[in-house]
Amino acid sequence: MVDGFRPVTLQETLNIRSQYNCTPIAGGTDLMVQKARGFALKPGFEQPLLFIGHLPELQKIVIKNNQIHIGSGLLLTDLLNSEIIPEIFKEAVRLMASPPSRNLASIGGNICNASPAGDTLPYLYAVDAKLVLKSVRSERLVSIGEFITGPKQTALGQDELLTEIIIPNKIFNVNYYKKVGQRKGMSLTKAVFLGMTDIKNDNLTDIRIAFGSVSPKIVRSREIERTIVGKPTFEMITAIPEILAKYALLIRPIDDARSTAVYRKKVSLRLLEDFLRKIDKEK
Amino acid sequence: MRESISKPIQRVDGSAKISGEAKYIGDMHFENMLFAKTLRSSRVKAKIKSIIKPELPEGYFIVDKDDVPGFNRMRTVVSDHPLFAEDNVEYIGQPILLVVGPERETIYDIITHISIVYDDLEPLYTLEEAEAKSTVFTDYHYDKGEPDKAFAVAVTIIEDEYHTGYQEHVYLEPQGMAAEYRDDTMFVYGSMQCPFYAEGALTEALGWDAKRIRVIQTVTGGAFGGKEEFPSLTACQVAVAALKTKRPVTLIYDRDEDIICSTKRHPSIVRYKAALNQNNDVIALDVDVLLDAGAYNGLSPVVLQRAIFSVTGVYNYLHLKVRGRNFMTNNVPSGAYRGFGAPQTIFGTEMLMHNIALKIGVDPLDYKMRHMLRRGDPTCMGGKIRDIVKLPEIITRVTEMSDYRNKVQNNVKYKGIGASLFLHGCGFTGNGEQTIQGKIILKKSGENVILKVSSTEMGQGAETVLRKIVAYSLDLPIEKVLCEAADTGLVPDSGPTVASRTTMIVGGLLRQACLELKDRWDEAEEFEVSRSYKHPDFLNWDNDTFQGDAYPVYSWGANVAEVEIDPVTYEINVKKISAVYDVGMPIDETTLRGQMQGGIVQGVGWATIEVMTTDKGKLIQKNLTDYKVPTSMDIPKIDCEFVSNPYEFGPFGAKCAGELPFVGAPPAVVAAVSNALNVPIYSIPITPEDLMEMDSHEN
Ligand SMILES: Cc1cc2nc3c(=O)[nH]c(=O)nc-3n(C[C@H](O)[C@H](O)[C@H](O)COP(=O)(O)OP(=O)(O)OC[C@H]3O[C@@H](n4cnc5c(N)ncnc54)[C@H](O)[C@@H]3O)c2cc1C
Repeated sequence: MVDGFRPVTLQETLNIRSQYNCTPIAGGTDLMVQKARGFALKPGFEQPLLFIGHLPELQKIVIKNNQIHIGSGLLLTDLLNSEIIPEIFKEAVRLMASPPSRNLASIGGNICNASPAGDTLPYLYAVDAKLVLKSVRSERLVSIGEFITGPKQTALGQDELLTEIIIPNKIFNVNYYKKVGQRKGMSLTKAVFLGMTDIKNDNLTDIRIAFGSVSPKIVRSREIERTIVGKPTFEMITAIPEILAKYALLIRPIDDARSTAVYRKKVSLRLLEDFLRKIDKEK
Repeated sequence: MRESISKPIQRVDGSAKISGEAKYIGDMHFENMLFAKTLRSSRVKAKIKSIIKPELPEGYFIVDKDDVPGFNRMRTVVSDHPLFAEDNVEYIGQPILLVVGPERETIYDIITHISIVYDDLEPLYTLEEAEAKSTVFTDYHYDKGEPDKAFAVAVTIIEDEYHTGYQEHVYLEPQGMAAEYRDDTMFVYGSMQCPFYAEGALTEALGWDAKRIRVIQTVTGGAFGGKEEFPSLTACQVAVAALKTKRPVTLIYDRDEDIICSTKRHPSIVRYKAALNQNNDVIALDVDVLLDAGAYNGLSPVVLQRAIFSVTGVYNYLHLKVRGRNFMTNNVPSGAYRGFGAPQTIFGTEMLMHNIALKIGVDPLDYKMRHMLRRGDPTCMGGKIRDIVKLPEIITRVTEMSDYRNKVQNNVKYKGIGASLFLHGCGFTGNGEQTIQGKIILKKSGENVILKVSSTEMGQGAETVLRKIVAYSLDLPIEKVLCEAADTGLVPDSGPTVASRTTMIVGGLLRQACLELKDRWDEAEEFEVSRSYKHPDFLNWDNDTFQGDAYPVYSWGANVAEVEIDPVTYEINVKKISAVYDVGMPIDETTLRGQMQGGIVQGVGWATIEVMTTDKGKLIQKNLTDYKVPTSMDIPKIDCEFVSNPYEFGPFGAKCAGELPFVGAPPAVVAAVSNALNVPIYSIPITPEDLMEMDSHEN
């Protein structure tokens, strides 16, 4: 038998979470697939479910101190309908799943599922998103990079819930996003690339680069980014080989049913190159 | 006179399907019904040493080979697939036994507690290995003209090899079947194309007379050939279970199980040697067709026949040497799939012509047009093209619609355009129609007419089209023409719903019967008129030598595909397909367009994104997360037109249509991709992974 809890408030939810070993479920679009056992059989949950998708406390999206606070229970569709979510993040969300799935799937679920192919992750890594983890005993703030500890692994405590995702209220000058899937809709990612920069007086004042689906975790290197910041845009072309060589060491994809390691690596570097060439053309 | 029959009417099955009233097999409930689940082989090839079964709770059963009262084989062209495995298993997913009982959870639990002790044997994983070991199921040959002499005098000889992959049907509704034994009769219900195939299989499995067997098609959510022979297997399994348990038994697959064990399109290798004369025209072709039949031959021999009878496409090669072989491998059995062998060889031949044209530096479409069949020409099997070939008109139109001439000349890298020319033989191959002897009945019942056929509606619009043919023939409103259920106890065997034969052959019989019924209309309130298939006298066929008219008539078409390749990722974006077809006469233009669009989309999928491969006998893409078919986002703009070319023996001039669009789309798309990157392509599906590799070699 699968038991379940459907609390009405966040406080009540955290109380239950502290008393029982249970599995939070928001939209269930990851969990129901992972736990499916076959036609007309009950899914194989080992623990009682804790339904959180409906909690009003998790549905807010507000700007505070020039930061966007996104409730973890918000649906992908809600993000698309929001006026304050940066366009490039919306682009990533728009290319996820299909309209019916986006009407069920939550942003919190995509993060906590911690798949290397999670499509909200490259952007969240690129902007150093902070996550609010709440329990009855504490509230802590961790960065996305600290939260995801490996494929399908997170630093979420037994009694904690992800309640909020905090991203800067900032739009970069140049935005580049490309998801490579097997087809145009309803497709898991073979490789994904995100690049954003700020340019002032022909100089790069900021750059963010993230790759998804090509390593056990999202690939982002502040170190390499730092070596690019400060360069004039017209030097981008000459810097390309060196930058590609550095990232090539970090991109370690695998062969699987959907693509090959060789393609994933090449396409990631080609996308990076394309992005860097675009910067060169920017004034 | 009424309006043209081509003018669309509302689909007769539409509202029940949209409202949810339609009852699929999964919606059916029988009193005291039991569920069944299949225990399958986890080994590629092995001897079953023993099966260790747990003690069964009250009311649960295991059904296996020992329960089959008749012959433990599925009847089809070659009846070699055991209903339940005997001493050996030959592929992963082969059915060994059923666990049957009232609760699905308990059944699942029992299944996980059955252990099978295997002794692994040496398997054959690939077509190449099978060729090396000569595990040939079927080996066919035929010649035309004097190929050896032609090759001896050839100015140039070109050799090419083309590969095509698996394709999964992905019908919306997975396989499902139920059986109920009552009144000394076995009633079998399920999702299927061919109720009489299942009935025939049941007579052998049960060892019973057909009178004690009734097979009833339930509303069928798509099939594409995947529900041609496969349901005969599950029909026999549930019937054996119902007989043993004395309770109704249902067996319904979920998607993952369906993909693992159901038939797929045959992977192929087609090898060509082309002899060119001083004008670089092909005068002779030597073709070697290899199909991966999988672990059992089943109906692969007839798939192979259509494959080798289609090798010349729309071209008139004077000399031919053709060989076709089905190979046994330890893969899941291949089977019927829209096009039935023809897509593999038409793809090969279209690409061969395309690639020769590129080598000699002429436009592929012009090169192809130099070889086209005309009325009166012999077919590759020495039959005759009797009707007007409207390809010139078709090509003119399709090149206008796509602006082919202009675009092919101003070709820029990463944008491509390509054309395909194709045909499809209408109806069964060879003497199939004579063997089947399809029969139909029309019953007048007061003001209504009831048509009785075993031809099934599976989503393609057969019921609309057949009712429309009768309604128009008798000048009745469509509401007065009813269709008897596809129930072997109630309808005659009008033949299986396959081979694009339903409109032309079954519709043709209905049309003839209508003419008689019309004459005799006032004779009585209630009476029946029937018709059986008669092979037209002018057609000759020798099934031993493969000489004569393999098909009574052909449908024709041309496609132009336009693609864009992403220069960074090499993703293929199929932008537009222009298509012109000669299917004789459209019976219902909207239904027909639906078939054309669906066929094109399925063809684009097979040619590009539908990657399905095996690794040591195991499917790698074994669910819909990994195996992708096109979504609405992937569908190109499709411009589709028809040229009218009524066929004397088809109802209102109609010929075949259902498979034709599938055959045409892949070579057009691949020609366009080849054009975009200026590389020859020899294998499908062609993926961004391949293209990136090929393009980096070019640079
Ligand atoms: C057809 C289909 C297509 C898809 N396509 C894509 C795609 O293109 N890209 C992509 O990235 N993903 C895709 N997914 C995966 C999935 O939809 C997303 O990851 C989605 O965002 C998960 O959200 P959910 O609310 O459904 O998560 P759930 O399934 O409810 O939960 C996922 C995991 O997160 C945990 N969890 C959820 N919320 C919280 C919380 N607030 N605090 C702590 N733990 C929590 C759950 O316990 C569980 O472990 C697809 C799924 C399907 C079924």
